[in-house]
Amino acid sequence: MFGKYDLSTNLKEQDVEIVVEGRGKRKRYYRRIGNEEVEKIIYADSGNLVVCPVEPVNIPDMTISEHLLIEFDKPIVVEPGTNSTFYAKFPIEVGVFLVDRKDVEEIDIFTKTKPKYTLYGPPERGVVCKWWKSEIYNEKPEVEKLYEGIVRVDITNNYSEWTEMKKIVFRAFDMKIFYDDYAYMHAYLKILKKAMGETTFNSRKPKNMQESIDIYLAKGIQKLDKKFVMEWRFK
Amino acid sequence: MIPEAVNEILQSKIGGITVVNLFTFIIILILSVIIGKVVKANIHRIMKEKIPITTLIVVEKMAYYTIIFIGFMVALPYVGFSLSGLLVAGGILGIVIGFASQTVVSNFISGIFLLIEKPMKVGDGVNIGDVSGVVEDIRILSTTVRTYDGVYVRLPNDKVFSSNIKNYVAHEARRFGYTVGISYKDDAEKAVDIIKKLLDEHPLVLKEPSPTIFVEELGDSSVNLTIKVWAPSSHWYGVYTEMLWKIKVALEKEGIEIPFPQHVVHMAKG
Repeated sequence: MFGKYDLSTNLKEQDVEIVVEGRGKRKRYYRRIGNEEVEKIIYADSGNLVVCPVEPVNIPDMTISEHLLIEFDKPIVVEPGTNSTFYAKFPIEVGVFLVDRKDVEEIDIFTKTKPKYTLYGPPERGVVCKWWKSEIYNEKPEVEKLYEGIVRVDITNNYSEWTEMKKIVFRAFDMKIFYDDYAYMHAYLKILKKAMGETTFNSRKPKNMQESIDIYLAKGIQKLDKKFVMEWRFK
Repeated sequence: MIPEAVNEILQSKIGGITVVNLFTFIIILILSVIIGKVVKANIHRIMKEKIPITTLIVVEKMAYYTIIFIGFMVALPYVGFSLSGLLVAGGILGIVIGFASQTVVSNFISGIFLLIEKPMKVGDGVNIGDVSGVVEDIRILSTTVRTYDGVYVRLPNDKVFSSNIKNYVAHEARRFGYTVGISYKDDAEKAVDIIKKLLDEHPLVLKEPSPTIFVEELGDSSVNLTIKVWAPSSHWYGVYTEMLWKIKVALEKEGIEIPFPQHVVHMAKG
């Protein structure tokens, strides 16, 4: 389903359907996912429709949080002074955009996932995060493509002791999502102290993949801090 | 070293002031304007994302004119004005203005302290004294609040500063609670499970800190359950207004009764 399409298209995958139809300038945009339907009228001569995964912090409301916390099903213990790599899954939100040479306009965002939020850190200073639970994989796992994406995490333990981790937090401002028929991110975690680490993203586009549209750029939202410092432990 | 002719010009007097002193006066003024502009630009750069634009403009102007005023006072003796005389005159004037503008100064000083202390920011849901609403603007003399029923309220800053301020969104998450009574014949553990499941399904009921549900009291007519829920501060009210009815419906759907107050009356025989 992910990709770039003409303004006359009919996409269907599992229980998701996206239709753009109509003659001349006036077009009808229709999207259905399960029982939820959205319909809009588009006036356009040219341009394209782009369907791609976006930062998974928009539904139900992007003002709630700009962080994603992935909780692992089992804790990971990392040896001091080493590098490790693992894969996890993250929730998918799909963005539908109208694109021409000058501008990008978001017309719809939907998800098959059930959103849930949690607090990372104490109530007075912590951050509210979109919550997701994932297993840990050594290889890229199989995913239900409209439901979950794959995040590769490279951990560097710069701390002098073994570190146990049960969760990782990312800032959506920094996310770089790529796609072909599934969504993919490549993140880094640097463990700095016993209870402190820093998460960032690799912005280099993997071979044969497309870069997703940045929802914050599309909405004209100014990005402040990008990397995220996990300062309230990893458990 | 200075040629005689130049020295003569510099020492010549215009209206009783030497040319060199006049130049010094002008240079000090120009320097104070330049310093003022540099300070103003730096304040703008550093503070633009920290305080509202209306307040920032006031702070910038205050800094700019204070520097120019100081420069002016430093330069005045070069054109023959005595600072001590000015200070006496200024002191008397100050007392007069001080009495006349006591409230303004009080509001102004409170405004500065509010900017430093930052107990709230524009957009926060607050309660200041007996006013509840959303902060619209924090200016140097007053703070404006839009009450939840849409009324514009202007509060002088000295009143804001001396009032109890409750900021409902200062922290990321906040807790709220309900008390729900179930009948004595029903299973409280089952009721707890039903409520817990319902709360788990709501996206904005935070996973951590997790909701707490327990039997608080064996009341006159019901077993009272206390439910404590954490939600994002920015969206807690929507969750608060939504969940109580949902809890009632979910409990009744599972056959758990929420009883009315009742008395058992024993009738005496004969």
